[in-house]
Amino acid sequence: MEQKWEMLSSSNEDREKIWSRSRTFAGDVWFRFRHKPTALAGLVLIAVLMAFAFFGPLFTKYDYAEQNLTVVNIPPRMTVYDAPDGNGYLTITQNLKLLRVDQDGRLGEQLSRVRDDDARSMTIFDCGGTEVGLYYGKTPYKVCNPDKLTVYHHRTIWNRSYLLGTDALGRDILTRLMYGTRVSLMVAFVAAFVNMIVGIVYGGISGYVGGMTDQIMMRIVDVISTIPLTLYVILIMVIMGSGLQSIIVALGSVYWVDMARVVRGQVLSLKNQEFVVAARTIGSSTRTILFQHLIPNAMGSILVTVTMLIPSAIFMEAFLGFLGIGLQPPLASLGTMCNDATENLRTSPYQLFIPALVIVLIMFGFNFVGDGLRDALDPKLKK
Amino acid sequence: MDSSTRIQHLLEVSNLTKYFDAGRGRKVHAVEHVSFAVDEGMTFGLVGESGCGKSSCARTIIRIYEPTEGTILFEGKDVSHLSQRILQPLRRDMQMIFQDPYASLNARMTVRDIIAEPLLAHHVVKKREEANEIVFRMLERVGLTREHANRYAHEFSGGQRQRVGIARALVLQPKLVICDEPISALDVSIQAQVVNLLREYQDESGIAYLFIAHDLSMVRYVSDAVGVMYLGELVETAETDELYRNPLHPYTRGLLNSIPVANPKLARQRNQSGIEGDIPSPIDPPAGCRFHTRCPYAKPICAEETPLLKNQGNGHLCACHLYD
Ligand SMILES: Nc1ncnc2c1ncn2[C@@H]1O[C@H](COP(=O)(O)OP(=O)(O)OP(=O)(O)O)[C@@H](O)[C@H]1O
Ligand code: SF4
Ligand SMILES: [Mg+2]
Repeated sequence: MEQKWEMLSSSNEDREKIWSRSRTFAGDVWFRFRHKPTALAGLVLIAVLMAFAFFGPLFTKYDYAEQNLTVVNIPPRMTVYDAPDGNGYLTITQNLKLLRVDQDGRLGEQLSRVRDDDARSMTIFDCGGTEVGLYYGKTPYKVCNPDKLTVYHHRTIWNRSYLLGTDALGRDILTRLMYGTRVSLMVAFVAAFVNMIVGIVYGGISGYVGGMTDQIMMRIVDVISTIPLTLYVILIMVIMGSGLQSIIVALGSVYWVDMARVVRGQVLSLKNQEFVVAARTIGSSTRTILFQHLIPNAMGSILVTVTMLIPSAIFMEAFLGFLGIGLQPPLASLGTMCNDATENLRTSPYQLFIPALVIVLIMFGFNFVGDGLRDALDPKLKK
Repeated sequence: MDSSTRIQHLLEVSNLTKYFDAGRGRKVHAVEHVSFAVDEGMTFGLVGESGCGKSSCARTIIRIYEPTEGTILFEGKDVSHLSQRILQPLRRDMQMIFQDPYASLNARMTVRDIIAEPLLAHHVVKKREEANEIVFRMLERVGLTREHANRYAHEFSGGQRQRVGIARALVLQPKLVICDEPISALDVSIQAQVVNLLREYQDESGIAYLFIAHDLSMVRYVSDAVGVMYLGELVETAETDELYRNPLHPYTRGLLNSIPVANPKLARQRNQSGIEGDIPSPIDPPAGCRFHTRCPYAKPICAEETPLLKNQGNGHLCACHLYD
């Protein structure tokens, strides 16, 4: 360019043009959200867990209620002994039987018992014509040659039939975990949704009407929030009986208190802002003011509260399940699975660890997402 | 004067008073006994320092606040105590432009929806899509383009936002627009642009403005008549030329002296620079003349007796004991 300093002709179009790319508020929030690693990790975690819970059951050949008493309490990682007939391995079940396991780790049929040898604390089984002894005189129990009294070579391998093992009724833990996660997530989502609606309506009315109505409504909330929620939920459960519906009702009728407070606070601060005053001078209806001005502007805080509410609902559901007043068997939830596991905690700790781990992951996921959302919605952090 | 021979003003405010509750039984005397009128196609300028009650006055007139006392006649109809429901259709003819172009636009709405909101509220159009043509025309009218319609308010500059606010106020073609310091939040270079836009629109449509500002310089340029407020009270009002040629009230003179003058010789000739001291609290305003704590001409009577607005000739009203 030769004449660097010459004036360019400019039209009104150019002067008023906005050169930046158009970004909606949601686009803005998403931009900030995805630049936060923990938030993104939380989101991915939740997505994976949801896929696991909702699509997982398509890929398993077991049913969550199907019992198989020959394979009770088989852990995901088994100790196996070489079978004397060279046909795979043998593993000891909890009710002192021997099970065939093939080279890959798939469980086979149970060996038939020949006789008890009480004198030597042994049970003798027939393994393809050879007699093998199960020595139960001392833990850990061993598989041995009853004649030479030598323990067969042993090793640990992964359980390929039941990837996460089986529970005390021989049900596949992986399958139950999928259904359990599904139930827990569903309970939490429905409860969170109900809470959100109740909270928005209650808090919205309280904040928008203001005055005496607000005072009374908020005192009621204060009273409710002094009752320990756990106690309250347990009472509802006891009165309504256990089952999916009562859990949803119980959780749905409790957590709206926080939501109502958040919404009321938001509405209270928003309703005197200039754009709401402007809507009133325009002559917009209360409906328009509520649904176009107040709630969309409060939506950020509402969403954050909801994502923070979901883990509490999941935790409360698990807690109820653990206490045994949650779902009815054979339905599984993460809490009831933990509860079932306590019976065999010493011998089969994996039965507790696995559902507990999933609870932890869900809580992590939602808390990370909630945190990320809150930061992304904070206009002070605008980049 | 009986009512049949009385000229009907577009807006007539008489004895308007607005107190706010300040807690513990105290009241903020935001507006007290303010009376003025705005005629069709005219501009009435309302001036005063920050905190003197201009916005409260405007918002009481447009009935965001309930008046404590006094009457507001709009097209001869007393609107001072109508319920919001009955008021709703009347709002079509009385709109407002706000001081803060950032806070007065909803950040979650596109410009199209912002400008279409009055059209929908008053059933000028049934559906949002039908509003498009009107919105585009309005955008072009205020110097924006139709490409702006899909943008959100936060993407605009202050001047552009204020023009969106103006488009929203004008789209219903109201008879009166209350402009509450529409330019005080804008850059000086943009101020003239916005004021000219308002004036051009007035020339075309014969709309009336109640134009609020905190300094007298811009008001002179836009108004046909001016009222000066001090601490909730109207202290002087006159036709614009008369007021600037012959300011009577010591407060008005002080305000005029605080207008920056381009010519340094003239500036030096001025006897004093504006008004000394701070504005007293409107929670318990001074007795007598409210200005007596700062007035260079204060007499003993000023602290005791409240001066009344009196006609000093030419329709020039002034409330000051100097002219008794
Ligand atoms: N809603 C309210 N509640 C209580 N006091 C109020 C309210 N609105 C305004 N006030 C008080 O009334 C007085 C007048 O305020 P107002 O906003 O009308 O002044 P203003 O002349 O518009 O000032 P500015 O030029 O800063 O906009 C102030 O002292 C203010 O604190
Ligand atoms: S009445 Fe007295 S104090 Fe008030 S403005 Fe006039 S001279 Fe000053
Ligand atoms: Mg103001």
